[in-house]
Amino acid sequence: MLRLRVLVKQNILVMVMLLFLQSCTTSVVVKGTVPTPLVRVIPAQVGVYYSDEFRNFMHEEVIRDSGSWRIDLGKQNLSFFQNLTKSLFAGVQEVHQSTLTTEESLNLDEVSVASEEMKNLDGVFIPTIKEYGFLTPSISGLKFYSASIEYSVAMFNKVGAKIGDWNIVGYGKSEGGIFSSDDAINEATVLAIRDGGARIAIELIDQPAVRAWLQSIDESIESSAPPPGLANSPESVDGAPDE
Amino acid sequence: MSNFFVQLVLLGLLSGCVSSRIEQSRDASTGIKSDEAIVLLGRASYNEKQTEDSFTECLADALGRGDNPIRLVEQIQFRDDLYPWFEPRTAPTSADELGKLFTQPGVKERINSANVRYLAWIDGDTVTIDKGGSMSCAVSTFGGGCFGMSYWEEDASYEATIWDLRTMTSTGQISADANGTSYIAGLIIPIPILARPGNAACKGLANQLRKFILGET
Repeated sequence: MLRLRVLVKQNILVMVMLLFLQSCTTSVVVKGTVPTPLVRVIPAQVGVYYSDEFRNFMHEEVIRDSGSWRIDLGKQNLSFFQNLTKSLFAGVQEVHQSTLTTEESLNLDEVSVASEEMKNLDGVFIPTIKEYGFLTPSISGLKFYSASIEYSVAMFNKVGAKIGDWNIVGYGKSEGGIFSSDDAINEATVLAIRDGGARIAIELIDQPAVRAWLQSIDESIESSAPPPGLANSPESVDGAPDE
Repeated sequence: MSNFFVQLVLLGLLSGCVSSRIEQSRDASTGIKSDEAIVLLGRASYNEKQTEDSFTECLADALGRGDNPIRLVEQIQFRDDLYPWFEPRTAPTSADELGKLFTQPGVKERINSANVRYLAWIDGDTVTIDKGGSMSCAVSTFGGGCFGMSYWEEDASYEATIWDLRTMTSTGQISADANGTSYIAGLIIPIPILARPGNAACKGLANQLRKFILGET
């Protein structure tokens, strides 16, 4: 009987400690609107590769005066980029990491894409999150919570050669009270994703390397097309013209 | 009825004094039809200042009510519909940039379909410029209380820059400045006497903005 009492007491103590520990962690699952960009469409069919890290991005940090933080921005970030790339390129297809041999796949830095998947694509677009950070008013001394995301965007052409890679930093800030810090971090993070996305949407098409790549796509289409007038000629279909 | 008067007197006693000033400069004539709308956008910059959302919400609330309510398009809705062109780092900084922005695919059509005639950029914030005094509170087994007095002075300074999206020009600016000092006096219980310069600036700016848009001033 005495042992049972001790066990019950111990269990209650553990539960209270767990509750206490849990209350010290601020968990934020980032949620926000996903706007569709109004931008000039890049006339290319691209594959987009999202790594598992990008899809499930989670930031964990312990701040001395603000406790521990767990910020899950993977889902919001993924749906934002899925929408962004759909509006940015003429055609988009998600590609996946290939386990095929080197002969059957293309190596795009650390990502291997099956040659079969590349058949109908002009290139591959790979976004990654290099760094995420946030500041609370107690750290910055300002009235705002702020968040920043550093993205890296790499692009490869049809044969796996790198077109270029670009670093983009998105920044957002939000007012927040002591009891709504999670809402403020959520809003600042959503704004940082939007800010980074806005720069990609506006500036990517104007990059010299992207322009050169688009020109090479145009030229390859022109060179693979039959000479003018020949395509509609019935003789060219049948082979030799009738005598 | 007597309770109502007591509450009114108490409210009057607990409200600090605020002095405010409104100034306007007009560059072009204005006017708005009942089906046309205005959008209020808070300016956000990447330094320590940013127009508080609560201020633009207060302005929107005041403009949408009263004898001559003006149709408003919500800031969030407008920014989403025109993404990525009205984000803090991509938004046009002067009306001269509107012409270039309207050449982007879909931008003009979106603004026309929402029938947004005017865009007002709201810039400014409320800051504490001075504070002092001291107050201490104590609790014991025999009771508790607060003694002393503390004060803080706030300055609210805002400016609205109004663009006509039909003519793609700036039509004018309105500025609102308000200043007030709040006190907390500790006489057993803490008695706050609050000045709300942000609220005074909001009301003053909203009244003037309404007259400006309607072409009354």
